[in-house]
Amino acid sequence: MRSPSQKLFALVAGVFVAAVAMSPARAVGPEGAAAASASIAPGPSASASASASGSASENPAAWGPQGRVLPPAMDATNSCVACHITLTDQKLRAPAKEFLTSVHSDDRIGCAGCHHGDPRDPTVGAHKAVGFDPHPTHAEVPDMCAACHSNASFMRTINSRLPIGEPELYRLSLHGKLTAAGDDQAPNCATCHGKHDILGPSSPKSPVNRANIATLCSGCHSDGKRMAKYGLRTDQFSRWEKSVHGKAFKTGNPKAPTCIGCHGAHAATPPEASSVGHACGRCHEEELAYFEMGPHSKGFRKRGLAECVACHSNHDVQPASSLMVGTTADATCMKCHSKDDKPRKIADELADLLRGARGRAAEARAMLARAREDGLHIAGAPYALDQIATAELKLRGVVHTLDPARLQAPVAAVDKAVDEAKRLVDDAARTRRLERHGYYAALGISCVLFLSLALKSFQLDRRRRDRS
Amino acid sequence: MNAEQPRKPGWLSDRLGWGGIAASLERHRAPRRGFVFYLGGITLFLLLLQVLSGVLLVLYYKPDAANAHASLERIVGEIPYGDLVRGVHAWSSEFFIAFLLAHLFTVVLRRSYRSPQELSWLSGLVALFIGVGLAFTGTILPWSQKAYAQARVGSEIAHNVPFLGNWLYRLLRGGTEVTSNTLSNAYGFHVAVLPATLTLIVGFHLFFLSRKPAAISEPADDDDDAEASKASSATEADTIPLYPDFLLRQAVVWVGVLVAVMTLAIFADRPLGAPADPRLSSTGAMPPWYFLPFHQIVRSSPRELLGIDGPKFIVGATCLLGLLVVVLPFLDRKGSKLVAWAGWLVLFVLILLATSALS
Repeated sequence: MRSPSQKLFALVAGVFVAAVAMSPARAVGPEGAAAASASIAPGPSASASASASGSASENPAAWGPQGRVLPPAMDATNSCVACHITLTDQKLRAPAKEFLTSVHSDDRIGCAGCHHGDPRDPTVGAHKAVGFDPHPTHAEVPDMCAACHSNASFMRTINSRLPIGEPELYRLSLHGKLTAAGDDQAPNCATCHGKHDILGPSSPKSPVNRANIATLCSGCHSDGKRMAKYGLRTDQFSRWEKSVHGKAFKTGNPKAPTCIGCHGAHAATPPEASSVGHACGRCHEEELAYFEMGPHSKGFRKRGLAECVACHSNHDVQPASSLMVGTTADATCMKCHSKDDKPRKIADELADLLRGARGRAAEARAMLARAREDGLHIAGAPYALDQIATAELKLRGVVHTLDPARLQAPVAAVDKAVDEAKRLVDDAARTRRLERHGYYAALGISCVLFLSLALKSFQLDRRRRDRS
Repeated sequence: MNAEQPRKPGWLSDRLGWGGIAASLERHRAPRRGFVFYLGGITLFLLLLQVLSGVLLVLYYKPDAANAHASLERIVGEIPYGDLVRGVHAWSSEFFIAFLLAHLFTVVLRRSYRSPQELSWLSGLVALFIGVGLAFTGTILPWSQKAYAQARVGSEIAHNVPFLGNWLYRLLRGGTEVTSNTLSNAYGFHVAVLPATLTLIVGFHLFFLSRKPAAISEPADDDDDAEASKASSATEADTIPLYPDFLLRQAVVWVGVLVAVMTLAIFADRPLGAPADPRLSSTGAMPPWYFLPFHQIVRSSPRELLGIDGPKFIVGATCLLGLLVVVLPFLDRKGSKLVAWAGWLVLFVLILLATSALS
């Protein structure tokens, strides 16, 4: 039971707290005010905020980096989360809860960074500040992100290593163009990165983490209903999974390309026939350079054939093999040249050179492996294997010139490496043989010693017996 | 050698005073027959062989987890005669333990531990303990998958030793896990601590033997002292001089053992096995043969025995049995035939356990 005096005290205290809480310019102290005004971020005012009217620090309408006041320290001023986290309505509580796990909760962004409003106001009045935007539309989201992510000087204040300008790249992409044109089905930033619970791409939980990115893309691109509208195929992911790239990715190869390796991430654009060589050439630099020296480069361009794809395919690219070259029924060359005499002759020459050299290399590798199995430890073996692999790699690049004369030098390099490997194995085997002879000699000497000592012992015994 | 016609002393024997040494050696006599009297000598020779081959291995072995296995691969595959040296080291270690155990059992069965041989017995037991320690640390050094499993299982069993268990466990592992520290600990013990101690102990063992000349001529088949003395007095025909006869025979046996070890080293391959990978399971790993009885009894022990953790009980009981063996000369002053029977029984049980572990 409360006494009347306690009731009176509670009433007075309640009124006082309410008065403090609801005062429009909350007393934050001189330091807080100074910090608030000091953190006006420079930069062009791209947003449609009310920054035209007087100083930003007086006008709480626009919070955020571009000519806006940033909250000096989120925990002190982000009253949005403090309040929303206590709400029972999941629709209102979830964003606050998710936000706390996001990469943005670590920085000085706060809720107002995107939604505006006045985070210094701990009442519902915060929602009434000018520019408060609880539900940005699908097309508005890229602008919202660009406010910070395209502002170099602001981004530098967060982390100097963060990339800048992805929203601009996104706008160049097909995704960006469709979104700008009002297509709600096309992805905006939030579609891939998430909304309130955005994580950095290095986090394994992030949908844009390298481990998750192919699944993320296939979420839309393998969806037949969704892609029907754009007339796109939906088998890219399943084909990629079976490709040399997809298999390498699954084994954890950090260099294996996922979707963005060829298509780009923010500026995602399908490589076309004329540019596909450059997509592949980002990794397969040497192959591209040699390809451009050869006759196919010009010929393909004239006929509008996709450079690398014409022979290697795209999403389901398989490991290149020397069997692709030649005039056998399965050879890739025969897809176009089955009736051309001169190219057939060249294909045969190339196939002979290539297969011969690779066969000899495989043989040398097997020889080294066998020697190892036999317990021969050859100090130079790893280097010899490296030499063979390097020479083969060169050969595999040069074959794209489709010029047998050019192939002579790398074939000679392979043969040299092979000879060196064979010499190492022979030397080790010879040493082993000599060593075995040494073993037998030592064993023989021991046996002779044994016999002579035994003889001596018998002699001694007999002499003693004779004497007794 | 003719004692009546003294030979003109050679230049070296003159300077070494060999005549005196030979004369004192000739006074000792050794049994004419019985292979058991060569067992100790063979064990000593195998120890020497291991020291020699071990010193050669130390030159190329690298005692850390990253390089140990590769350095052994190099010793076996690249260093001239490295294969032979490693083979001799490994095979002679097996022989060493085998002859050590044979030596121990023949001493028990012949009851040669009796007074005044207590000190020989005790130093022999310490040598056996160190020898097993050497063999155990030696199996860890190749740092193969098998070696890794043995380090784990071995230290796990040592954990059950009463009172000293935890200390032993941490000592063997060089911490709480089997890591590179385990390997460097094993190496330090294998090449320095244990061999040095063993050399000292073997020195004592030989010294005690030389103090009691009758030691190796002890036939001791009867309980009756009078009979025993009669037997020893009537042995002039049954004995031979220690030098040169017995030592020459000993040399013949030594070279014979060397030939056997070398033949095995050359023709019986001992694969190194895959390098240790802590991610792989080490279940089903078999310990060396001399640990098999122990392995089997710990493996098949119930979870709990008389309210004590099963393996702890077994290991504790074994330690107690070990203590009993240590004080055997003091318990059995006269040499009861019961001990010999118990010795046969223990031997039988051990062989039974080892064969059941293998099947």
